[in-house]
Amino acid sequence: MTDVAESKIWIIAEQRQRELAEVSLEIIGKAIDLAKQTRWKVAAVLMGHQLNTLSRQILSYGVHEVLVADEPMLVNYCNQAYVKVLENAVKRFQPEVLLMGATALGSDLAARLAARLRIGLSAHCIDFELTEKGDLFGIIPWLGGNSLCRISCPHTRPQMATVIPGVFQVPKMNGIQGRIIPLETHIEQKDLSYHVLETKHVKGPQSELEMAEVVVAGGWGIGDNDGWKLIENLADRLNGAVGATRPAVDESWAKEGQMIGTSGLTVRPKLYIGIALSGHPHHLVGVKEPELVVGINIDPNAPIFESCDIGLVGDYREIVQSMIKCIDVQYGGGDE
Amino acid sequence: MEFQFSQREDLLRKSVREYAEKEIAPRKDEMEETGEFPVDLLPSMGEMGILGVITPEEYGGTGMGHLARIIVLEELGRVSPAIPMALQVHHMSTYALTMWGNEEQKRKYLPPLAKGETMGAVSVTEPSGGSDVAGMQSVAKLAGGKYILNGRKCFATNSHHSDIWVVPARTGEGRKGLSAFIVEKGFPGAKVGRKEDKVGLRGANTGELAFQNCEVPKENLLGNEGDGMKISIRDIVECGRPGMASVALGILNAVLEQSVKFANERMLYGNPISSLQAIQWYISDIYSDLEIARLLTYRVGWMLDNEMDVTAQAALAKQWSCEAAARAARKGIEVHGSYGILREYSIQRLLRDALVAIPAGGTAEIGRLVMARTAISMFS
Amino acid sequence: MRVIVCIKPVPDPKYWNRLRFEAKTKTLVREGVPSIINTLDKNALEEALRLREKVDGEVIVLSLAPLDSISVLREALAMGADRGILISDKIFAGSDTLATAYILSTAMTKLGAYDIILCGDQTLDSGTAQVSTQIAELLDIPNLMHITAIEFTDEAQFLVKSQIEHGYMLVEIRAPMVLSVANQINEPRYTTLRNILEAEQKNIEVWSSEELNLPERLVGLAGSSTQMGDFIFPPKKKKAEILQGSPEEQAAELTDRLHRLGFY
Repeated sequence: MTDVAESKIWIIAEQRQRELAEVSLEIIGKAIDLAKQTRWKVAAVLMGHQLNTLSRQILSYGVHEVLVADEPMLVNYCNQAYVKVLENAVKRFQPEVLLMGATALGSDLAARLAARLRIGLSAHCIDFELTEKGDLFGIIPWLGGNSLCRISCPHTRPQMATVIPGVFQVPKMNGIQGRIIPLETHIEQKDLSYHVLETKHVKGPQSELEMAEVVVAGGWGIGDNDGWKLIENLADRLNGAVGATRPAVDESWAKEGQMIGTSGLTVRPKLYIGIALSGHPHHLVGVKEPELVVGINIDPNAPIFESCDIGLVGDYREIVQSMIKCIDVQYGGGDE
Repeated sequence: MEFQFSQREDLLRKSVREYAEKEIAPRKDEMEETGEFPVDLLPSMGEMGILGVITPEEYGGTGMGHLARIIVLEELGRVSPAIPMALQVHHMSTYALTMWGNEEQKRKYLPPLAKGETMGAVSVTEPSGGSDVAGMQSVAKLAGGKYILNGRKCFATNSHHSDIWVVPARTGEGRKGLSAFIVEKGFPGAKVGRKEDKVGLRGANTGELAFQNCEVPKENLLGNEGDGMKISIRDIVECGRPGMASVALGILNAVLEQSVKFANERMLYGNPISSLQAIQWYISDIYSDLEIARLLTYRVGWMLDNEMDVTAQAALAKQWSCEAAARAARKGIEVHGSYGILREYSIQRLLRDALVAIPAGGTAEIGRLVMARTAISMFS
Repeated sequence: MRVIVCIKPVPDPKYWNRLRFEAKTKTLVREGVPSIINTLDKNALEEALRLREKVDGEVIVLSLAPLDSISVLREALAMGADRGILISDKIFAGSDTLATAYILSTAMTKLGAYDIILCGDQTLDSGTAQVSTQIAELLDIPNLMHITAIEFTDEAQFLVKSQIEHGYMLVEIRAPMVLSVANQINEPRYTTLRNILEAEQKNIEVWSSEELNLPERLVGLAGSSTQMGDFIFPPKKKKAEILQGSPEEQAAELTDRLHRLGFY
């Protein structure tokens, strides 16, 4: 007898080599919270191989059920195979809402699934809303503006959204109360359209930034490589890491892996100093709960000054050079 | 009359701008310090097609014409005016070969010049005076199947980085007694002399060439004996002067950009100084200088591409644009206030660049003489 | 080998402050803002050109864009592409990613056989990073994203590196397929003067909805399931304390506070 899934809100959980991506838990927490105003229950969907422990772990975060597709051929991510499993499950159980993290894997899987099911997709959301009636709205930062925008898929079902990592908190575990429902996979060798030979973990500037307590970020207003070196020097004095906005990466002052924001990293520093950058939501949304935010910009109307605790209006070069002098002369620089 | 650039010209401008911003911008401070031309960029410049822009395709160039050349030099000059200074003289050597060289000479020398395997120079000026071309004292005597060249050339751009020189010298009496030669640096008796230390356009190397019984093969005579005056003057008029005018365009663009950027950032009385009328007048003066210089110079390019005589117009474009560049740079310094006279701000560099551009390729006074002659002949 | 590259003209980020949003149609007004080739698409085109250097082949550039974007295709041809196709029609305006993928994949089917379709991971302006994957789904071929290296053993069998958080995957994949590239994959070449001249001999075709025979309900705003709603202006989250004085004074005050808070 195959069990019938009851939940209408599904979070497609991401696992790689049986390690769960934190973003999946973050979304689960928020979904459980929002679901309360609707009649719907929340499920997590897990695909891969040897997932018993992981399934039970997810249950303990409060989902009503975990739908599991456990199959040797699914051990490595292959989008067409995963889409096949999800398509069958969706057709069978008719969920209303599908959510997943906007990660390397999630962005690809969501896009392919949306095309398979011919439904819309609200991608890279920095937040989402669920009305009583069950309408899903994704919130995205809007290009060139200091505002956010709601997007939705009013005419297609299920409604799907991907959410960037780091927006919500990982919920608390509260004991296992739900059930596990095995999904039929019907996967054949020919469904595996590519073959992952190796997955390698590499530490890069990305990880340094994600763990940094102090982040100094620069943007378009830095102007040139010399200016960039100046902010690197400041970060050095503060034992911090250097982040960037998209324009700074495009100008090749910073690497792609240093970009913070909706299309880049999420950081959680104690101190964040934004220098010569506008401070638009695209970027700031990637800076999570800092204790102190400092903005330095020549333009007193720059949006950064609406999002910081301390603002310095002026030529960043003069200010940063003075800061470095002060730190060096008075405090000997880089104290632990 | 059409005052719009073609799609080709727009794409050309975009491509050269990208190259200049990525490859030349990081080098300009070093060029200013050392006074050295970045010779390691020659192969990539050759690859881009910049060096052979007026060399016919069959000899390895892109043959895009004089207006295209002006656009190329302007875009390079926007980033570093010393670069088009050096390249425009290089073009003068390719122009001399293309216009007056025979088939063997073209096949031998044009391809390596287009590729950037070597640089070219055209050296007319002597210690006896550059304005007095006919008064030159270098002598070339035909002896035993070779020309023996003796003399000195000064204020030669690219002197120390080039291997192929177009050198006029005296083979007979009077104005018809000058002949032009293709001299390779490696010829016995050919030497480079002192290197000049200029206050501006420092990344373009300027120096002396010396010839002591230098042996030049007979087949390196450019054109015929007696053609030297014609070749020198026409090379200067049709290639050198539009080239220098393009250098001035580069300077003018840079002055406007730097002045506006500074004025938008510098706060005084709670507002950027670009909101102050006095500063706006300076900026409008710089803007009008740039626009006028552009019209004068682009017109010369168009006229050359349409095989028209440009004697007066080239002199005008060159003389006017270079003086405008100096005038505009001076105003740019005013816009910068006290920061304008600090070395770390490059606006002062642009004034020095413009001052060096003024006498190069024909002094302002010569330019005026040329124009006076044309104007007078209009009503005689 | 036949490689199709999708390119999109996007507003030049240097001029984004000139963009205006029209509330009625919920679209971006791009007049007066110059366009550039989306930076990641340039990486895709560069990679296609490198593949063609290794194996004889053809690089075709495809773009779904307004008619005035034809200069962007010319630039792509000047980089070295062999053929350019601009897909343009008023009824395509307002297409979401799926509608866009539908239009592009129909054009690719019309072109005939292909080996690789290359795209950039995402665009500077929309940043949804969906179109390449959705094209693959509609064509029913495999796809991979975030590609930082492409090698092949023979023309059908490829070995690619796909970037993931904190690392990468090495994947074996067969043509035909769609690969979307990350910016680390290569450094796009300059357009040389010679290439500009050669590009003028190359062909740019313009296809409208007639050539593609697409039902209206599947394209444009009509065919878009994802829709934009209203705007939210987030309230000022913090009341910033603006430091006073000269730059030196401000710097001194800030560094003093940072020291007292224990940041260094």
